[in-house]
This record gives sequence, structure tokens and C-alpha cells, in this order.
Amino acid sequence: MDCDIVLVGLNHRSAGVDVRERFALTEHCDPEHWAVPCTGPIRESVILSTCNRVELLAAGKGDVAGQMQRDWAQARHATPAELAPYVYVYKNREAIRHLFSVASSLDSMVIGEPQILGQLKTAYRKAVSSHSTGAILNRLLHKAFSVAKRVRTETSVASSAVSISYAAVELAKRIFGDMHAHNAMLVGAGEMAELAAKHLLQAGISEILVANRTFSRGQDLARQFSGRVIPFEKMTAYLTEVDIIITSTAAQESLIRARDIRTVLKIRKNRPMFFIDIAVPRNIDPDVNGLDNVYLYDIDDLREVVEENQAIRRDEALKANDIVNEEVEHFTAWLTSLDVQPTIVDLIHRSEEIGHKELEKTLKRLGHVDEATHEALEALVGAMVKKLNHDPIMFLKNDGMAQEGNTQRISLVRRIFNLDATGSHLKEL
Amino acid sequence: MISPDLSTGVALALYSGAVITGIFGMLARRLFWSRCGCILAFSAFAFQTLTLALGFHKALPGGLTAGAYFQLMAWFVVLCALIALVKLRQPSTLIFAATLGLMLFVMSTPYLTAVVRLPETLSTAFYALHIGTLFLSLALMALAFAAGGLFLFLENRIKSKRSVKGFWQDMPALSLLDRINAFTVIAGYPLYTLGILSGLVWARPVYGVSMTGDPKEIVSIVIWLLFSILFHNRLTRGWRGRKPAQVAVGIFLLCLFSIFVVNTFMNTHHAFIRN
Repeated sequence: MDCDIVLVGLNHRSAGVDVRERFALTEHCDPEHWAVPCTGPIRESVILSTCNRVELLAAGKGDVAGQMQRDWAQARHATPAELAPYVYVYKNREAIRHLFSVASSLDSMVIGEPQILGQLKTAYRKAVSSHSTGAILNRLLHKAFSVAKRVRTETSVASSAVSISYAAVELAKRIFGDMHAHNAMLVGAGEMAELAAKHLLQAGISEILVANRTFSRGQDLARQFSGRVIPFEKMTAYLTEVDIIITSTAAQESLIRARDIRTVLKIRKNRPMFFIDIAVPRNIDPDVNGLDNVYLYDIDDLREVVEENQAIRRDEALKANDIVNEEVEHFTAWLTSLDVQPTIVDLIHRSEEIGHKELEKTLKRLGHVDEATHEALEALVGAMVKKLNHDPIMFLKNDGMAQEGNTQRISLVRRIFNLDATGSHLKEL
Repeated sequence: MISPDLSTGVALALYSGAVITGIFGMLARRLFWSRCGCILAFSAFAFQTLTLALGFHKALPGGLTAGAYFQLMAWFVVLCALIALVKLRQPSTLIFAATLGLMLFVMSTPYLTAVVRLPETLSTAFYALHIGTLFLSLALMALAFAAGGLFLFLENRIKSKRSVKGFWQDMPALSLLDRINAFTVIAGYPLYTLGILSGLVWARPVYGVSMTGDPKEIVSIVIWLLFSILFHNRLTRGWRGRKPAQVAVGIFLLCLFSIFVVNTFMNTHHAFIRN
């Protein structure tokens, strides 16, 4: 290969958060450092820097990895030796595989999380605006985006919730479907309950009511969610209005009992209710789940859902790896095929040159010929050159797809057709 | 005029294609194949509509045979599913309806020449009212059955905190399934009532009495009573969710018993007679 693809980076597995912060290349860098300078052995480059990883991807020839580490360390006012213990280096096939895995969120802390693809796209946009990408990285990054899309479409790696708050919202969707016609009540103010409320709002819930023992805290929360605060003591009365109830108070006894809900259901004409009890000890009587059209999930139930989903994602990641490997093969084949291009160009030039010279000789020998004969002879030579070139070009292209022996094939064609001949050799012809 | 065997074969092939691709799409969670299933189901419905418009029943011995009734019922089921698809935007409804349609078509094949004995005095208006309303309500009940069965399964999994993953993950939400139940009950009950009433009215000039004690009549009245309970409680007492789903499943199973056991094995004037 005329050009190597090299990836140098550190991530949540190879370095702690302090190291990642120290060597991050987004927050503290000038816009011109969105890409490693394309000097020396580096021809193209892209930088991906997120809270969990900093990775530098480059295409070039020579000591690309060394140059990248030196540039990176310099940008963060450190020495390459300080950076070296935390860094991994991947080259060519391994670099491509790693990039595809990162784009597909298979290398993320939470497998299947959707942010990384967006971050990679942003990194690529910045590199493009810095004019640091070329034919190879452009194609590689576009391929990485399409691999990520394929992984998401063909596997369930990102389909189920892996956080407790999001799992609760997913369950709410299974019960209510379209969330726009439903509302929720937040009883108490725990971090997880607030997160669930945020996810509910993102899912399109129409309104959030907040009931908190400290009214002012409730007001703050209601403002945060553009909702409505209600007095904590009247919380039960509002149950007739709300469909989703998230509880997370420090109360030692049940705030909501099954007998209260029976009355509420009559008033609601059995419209379904979903209770999410994130509190420990629990705020809702477990018997509530036994009522028709009422669903209750406590923190342990949700944790089980999340664990199950994580296991599913791990299984799906294996399928996704197969897709990544397949795409790595395709991309490597394309990359390798680039090697044969100069030989094909030389072959065509060489044969056209010979054809042209032979045509000139023949025309001289024939003397004056009419225009039609001249054109016919030109067409004859052109067609012969084209047809004679077809087989060696196909031989090069087909064998170019194979990994092994590509250099040997190129060398063979170059020797057979004398493509490395000097000017004197050509004159002899 | 298209031959009944040929039209049945083509419709069977189209419904089979719809079911295979649609169910595969749902199981593998591939939208493309689910869409293909919907397109094939719609093609089967369009083809059946065409054959009905061309007078498919006229080519059958003795006019409308038992097999033709089943095929007509399949057409009604898919028609109702198409309405539900437009209203609720759930492609799975059409796939399930196509599955029911396919089952009805398969069941129709041995009965293609089995004539339903009808009193000479009955006019075509009787067909339109008695058979038409009953078959349309049966099609709606079939949808209520599918939605109800799915509701009971999914609700049980959610209640018992078991996972709803893979294929089941793409099924409609519980609220939507309950809405399908409400829609089918509210539309199906008046139609079924009209069908039963028209039967009772027309029985008087034919048999001298409205109720002859025929097994089919008794089972139909039991179905109507259950249907009345469901309709009444749904509208006035706010029945939702599990109870109406259970009753809808029970009603449709009773309907199947009425069609396949009463009509085939019992001594009734609704019996299928094979030529």
C-alpha cells in the first residue's frame, strides 16, 4: 500500500479521566488544532475528542504514528513519553476495524449509545473545514458512517434502554403508545426521577405535575420541566388526572395504597396508570400492580429490565462485529486496489504510445492515404490497444482485490510489459 | 369469468406471500419485508375485490357456497384491517388480518362446492342484510380477537415484569390494542344485532316461527348476549383493557365453534351440504 492508515488514541479503558482531560483536544485547543498538521509523513488527518476518548486518525507514509504522538503531546504541552503509556496504536486493517467499531458504538462504555456517531460526524466536519482530509480519509469516514447505520439497522445493539430512567420511559411507551396525549406526576425529587421526567418530556409527554414536600423545591422543578407544582398533601386527588406517576420520596410508609387507587380508577373510568417507584423504601403499595389497568415497576424491576437489555446488547454486539469485519474487508480491498491504479495508467499510456508510433510508421510507408483510410487505421489501432489491455487490466484489478501477492502481480505486469523502461528503451522501440 | 379454483389459488398465493414476508419482517424486525407483506396483503385484497366484482360466486355450483362465505369473510377481515391501518397507522394489523385471511382461505378450499341450503322464498335482500351484516361483524370480531389475544399476552408480560423484546417489541402499545377492541366492538355489535334480527324476522314467513330451536340460533343468541355484555360494559361502565380483551377472545372462539362445529356436524338448517 502506498499509504498507511494509522490510528493513535486513548480511551476510557486505557486512561483515567484525569489523563483523558489532560490530553483532550477539544476544549482547550485552537480551531486550527482540530486536525493534526498535515506535514512530514502525515498526508490526511482527523481528530476525535470526546469525554471518553481522544483519537487521532491519519493517512500517510513513514513514521506516521510517531509524528502524531509528537504533535499531540506538543499541542497539550507534554512530552511524547508522558503520553505513551496510555496510548494505543492501530495500523491499516486494525485502524479501520477500530474506527468502524467506534462509529458503531461497539467500543463505547455503554454499548450502542447513540452520541458517538454524532461526535464522529462533528469531528469529520471540523477536519474537512480544516482541509486536512483527502481521498482516503473522506472515503474511510463515509464508510464508517454507513457501517454504523448498517449495524443499527441490522442488529438490536441500540434498541433497548440501558439506564433505569430510560427503561421506565420505554415501558410507558409500551403501555400508552403515543405519549402526547398523556401526562405525568413527579412525587418527590430524586436524581433518577428527574432524569425519567426529562426522558418523558423528550418522548413528548404533554405535561408534568410536581408534588414535593418542600413547595419551593417543587416550584423549581416545575419550572425546570415547564410543568405545574401541586401541594404535596393533595397529591392523591390529582391521581385522577395523571397517567404516569414517578415517586422518589424519603417517606418510610407507602404514600399510595391499592385501596386509594381502586377509587381513583372508578373516577378515571379505568384509564390505565403507570407507577414508577424509584424510592427506597418503596412509596407505593406493591398490591397496586394487582389492579386491572394499573402497572407498577419499582427500582429492582427496572434494574432487572436494564440488566436484561445490557445482556441483549452484548449479544447483539457479537453480530455487529461480524458486520464490522465484513466491511473492513471491503474497505481494505478498495484500499489495496488503489495500488494497481498507477500500473494500469502506465500500461494504457505505454500501449497507446506503441500503437501511435506503429501507426505513424505504417502511414509513412503507405504514403498518401485518404481521410477515411486514415480514420479506419486509427480506429483499428485504438481497438487493438484497448482489447489487448483488457486482460492484463482485469488481471490486475481482480488480483488487486486479494490481499496476498498484490505487489508480485504488479511487478509481474510491469516486467512483462516493460513498464519501467527508460527513455532509451522506448526509443529503441 | 374467472374460475373459482383459479381465483382461490391466486388469492391463496398472494395471502401466503403476504403472511410469509410480513411475519418474517416482523420477526426479523425488517421494515422492508413488513412493507412487502402489507403490499402483498393489499394486492390479495384488491384481487379478491376484483373477483367479487366480476361475479365470482356465479361460477360456483348453486351460487354462494360455504367456501365462498369463508372467502367473503376473509375479504371483510382484511377490509376492516385496512380501515384500522389507515386510522391507527399500524402495519402489523394488516399482517395479522392477512394471516386470518389466509386461514379462512385455506379453510374455504374443501367447501368451495359445499352449498348452504337456503329456503327458496328468501330473496337476495336477505343475503345482503343477514349474511352481509353477520359476516362484517364476524370480521370485526376476528380483529377484536387478534387485538385481544395480543393485549392479554403483552399485558401479562408487562404485569409480571417479563421482558417484551425482539418481535414483541414492535407490537402496538396496550392502549392502541384496547382502542382496536373498542372500535371493533362499537362497530361490530350493531351489525351483529341487525344480522340476528333480520334472521329472526325472515324465519317467521319461512318456518312459521322466529325461533325454531335450531342449534345455530341458540349459539348465535349466546354470542349476541355476550356481545351485549361487552358492548354495554364498554360504553357505560368504562370497561378497558383485560376484561374486554378476554370477552372478545371468548366471543370469537364461540363464533368459530358456531361456524365449524355447528354448521358442519349438527343438524341445523344452516348446515353446509357438500355437492
